[in-house]
Amino acid sequence: MSESKPKVATDWLCGCAGCHMSILDIDERILQVVELVELRSTPITDLKEPDIEGVDVGILEGSINNTYNEEVAKRMRERCKILVALGDCAVFGGVPAMRNFIGADAALKRAYIDAESNDSEGKIPSSPELAKMTHVRAVHEVVPVDLHIPGCPPDADVIFYALTELAAGRIPEIKDEKLDWH
Amino acid sequence: MITLTIDEKTIEVKEGSTVLEAAEAADIYIPTLCHHPQLTPYGGCRMCMVEIEGARTLQPSCTLPAVDGMVVRTNTEKVLNARKFVLTLIFSERNHFCMYCQVSDGDCELQNRAYDEGMTHWDLQPNWQPYEVDASHPYMVLDNNRCILCRRCVRACSELVGNYTLGFEERGADSLLVADYDVPLGESSCISCGTCVQICPTGAIIDRQSAYQGKETDVDHHVSVCTECSVGCIRDVLTRDNRLVRIEGEWEAPLNNGLLCDQGRFLPLEETRARLLTPMVRKNGSLKAATWDEALQAVAIGLGKGQDLVALASTRLPIEDLSLFKSLFKDKLGADLVTTLEEGAPTAAAAKMADQLGEPFESSLEELKDNDVVLALEIDLVDHHQVPGFFIKRQLLDGTQLFVADSKSNHLAEKATLTLDLKAGEEAQFLESLTAAVEKGSESAALNKLAESLKSARKACIVYGPTFIENADEMALSSLIELSEKLHCALIGVKGNANSMAAAQLELEAPFKPNGHQSAFVLLGDEAPSQKLVKALENIPFVVAQASYGSQVTGNADVILPVTTWAEQSGTYLSLDGRLQNAVKALDAPEGVLSSQDALQRIAESLSLKPDLDWKANLLKRVPTAPIRDIDN
Repeated sequence: MSESKPKVATDWLCGCAGCHMSILDIDERILQVVELVELRSTPITDLKEPDIEGVDVGILEGSINNTYNEEVAKRMRERCKILVALGDCAVFGGVPAMRNFIGADAALKRAYIDAESNDSEGKIPSSPELAKMTHVRAVHEVVPVDLHIPGCPPDADVIFYALTELAAGRIPEIKDEKLDWH
Repeated sequence: MITLTIDEKTIEVKEGSTVLEAAEAADIYIPTLCHHPQLTPYGGCRMCMVEIEGARTLQPSCTLPAVDGMVVRTNTEKVLNARKFVLTLIFSERNHFCMYCQVSDGDCELQNRAYDEGMTHWDLQPNWQPYEVDASHPYMVLDNNRCILCRRCVRACSELVGNYTLGFEERGADSLLVADYDVPLGESSCISCGTCVQICPTGAIIDRQSAYQGKETDVDHHVSVCTECSVGCIRDVLTRDNRLVRIEGEWEAPLNNGLLCDQGRFLPLEETRARLLTPMVRKNGSLKAATWDEALQAVAIGLGKGQDLVALASTRLPIEDLSLFKSLFKDKLGADLVTTLEEGAPTAAAAKMADQLGEPFESSLEELKDNDVVLALEIDLVDHHQVPGFFIKRQLLDGTQLFVADSKSNHLAEKATLTLDLKAGEEAQFLESLTAAVEKGSESAALNKLAESLKSARKACIVYGPTFIENADEMALSSLIELSEKLHCALIGVKGNANSMAAAQLELEAPFKPNGHQSAFVLLGDEAPSQKLVKALENIPFVVAQASYGSQVTGNADVILPVTTWAEQSGTYLSLDGRLQNAVKALDAPEGVLSSQDALQRIAESLSLKPDLDWKANLLKRVPTAPIRDIDN
């Protein structure tokens, strides 16, 4: 393994994992990506956190909807040189942000008490170990973001293009047919 | 002429042009959002900002008049930054999350503008204020969450349709699109013309019938004349996988300029009648499915040699069909009575007058667009033929005076300067009194007021309808024509169905008086039969119904021939003012269903008859009430 290969770490916040599925959707080209970069912590590998020594590129999927997501986003920002917001949730807030129109309390009540599938004992989980829900935010509302790749999910070809550009040390240009928020 | 420079290009434009118009004329693209070619420039969204040499700030090109020597730049860094900032502010105002919007991915002008500017994200996030969605209307959903406050809908409702239903309450970011004084749209004064749906740049007003049925890129377009009435609006029929998706007004159309009424836009998609898919022949008292050959044989036997035969056709059918129908049943078969389901009621008297005069006396509908006095004579343009009604209503705020004279209640009366009483059958007296009032004044204040207004008008127009033509005698019509000549005002005669005037040209206008007829051929097409027709056919022993949908007429018929609907056939239509326009086939007919024309040809073949196919020559034989001219749609 060459020392000069840029290191990439990814993580997911409040999303559906669809953007990571779309990363895998680059199919056999993932072998080219591994040639070009060193994949460090990602939900696909078994490493949990980006290296303390830092990585070159950090990629985040999902919006930030609780204190734990904040922590993950801040850690990624601290440990990476270029932070990428991947997908509509990370870029805009996405589907989770619909919660902001009604508030967290109403959303919890709907899910844990009023939902048709709940039993009559419906109870909102509360434990000191659980992260605290917050207003749902796009990643750039919490930490500075260097590159936004919108899409729900972003197209595999756009992801492959972005990864190869980043590997080559360039900031990819997301425009024209590569720009699609869905 | 004015000479100005835009992006180093020298451009010459007419005085009074805006900078945007000048740029468009020179093929220089300036993005817009609140602007629409059919509306008065508004300058509300600031998307079209440009840099003007010598000006302190950026200026909106849509409202800025072009001035001689002006130097304009449309793509400096300052302009590009301003555009992005304007978009950022619009996105931050409401819920513009594209992923859960009906118009996302191609059909949204806001999203498309953001793509054009290469926006990958929003610098400012939304303020998360939700607004109630109004889904009370049968055809549209009004969602203030998606609104960008461009007011295109409000301007279309007032400037184009003259209905003034939509408006805004509150100010600034709190502005809300409301109907009337904030009542649910479904309970408002909305007339469901749908212009607001068509003109909305985002998903703030969406069409219920076509929502999520296909984007602009998924559908096929068929620009075609509307066949719902005799106005002849041009509309775009959108289809996907041989299914109707939506109907839109054609913005480029010379007369209706994008406008349609509910009849032309929404009702054709509400069809619930049972479709006829196979020929049927009555055997031992009940209708049984048959092949076309069996059905045609039954027709040939049942119709006999044409004596005691009555043949009736719908005036919703193309001229080609009507001409073939006449040639076959009248000229070749010699049927006792060949006419239309309208029996010439909306046209016969006027057509006879044109015969006598030897020249047309009615004008183009364009004449209705700009007047200072309009007299509506026994015509309710709110009830039917609505688009010409829009032309009148939208002029009223500019001071145009509307006079209504009717023997029945008339919805236009609400908007009228003055309503005059008219008794059915006394049209001639009314017009004589009006003529007298014009010449020497009258004892009636109302007549005097109308006469004075008509006399002093820069431009006046008298529009009359089927009721007037049905009630009027020769005297009434000639008084009307004399009066219009004296006043130099245009006469417009509103007819009935889409091809009423064509039927008149083909002399298909005899009244249907049952006269011991032994057989009837009823070419309904997709028209719903009247109770009067159902009754009249009851006593006729043998009835053939050529129709698209099941009805009391087909239920009682002895032979049913299934034929195409308006959407499945091509053909020519003659509007009430003589415009010859094309209807274009938008859908393939179900298997086994023939076009009315093909079905008539098959009947002719089975009777060994060779009908005349030169419909245009037949159409032009008679002096028309309004000059006939080809319009290329």
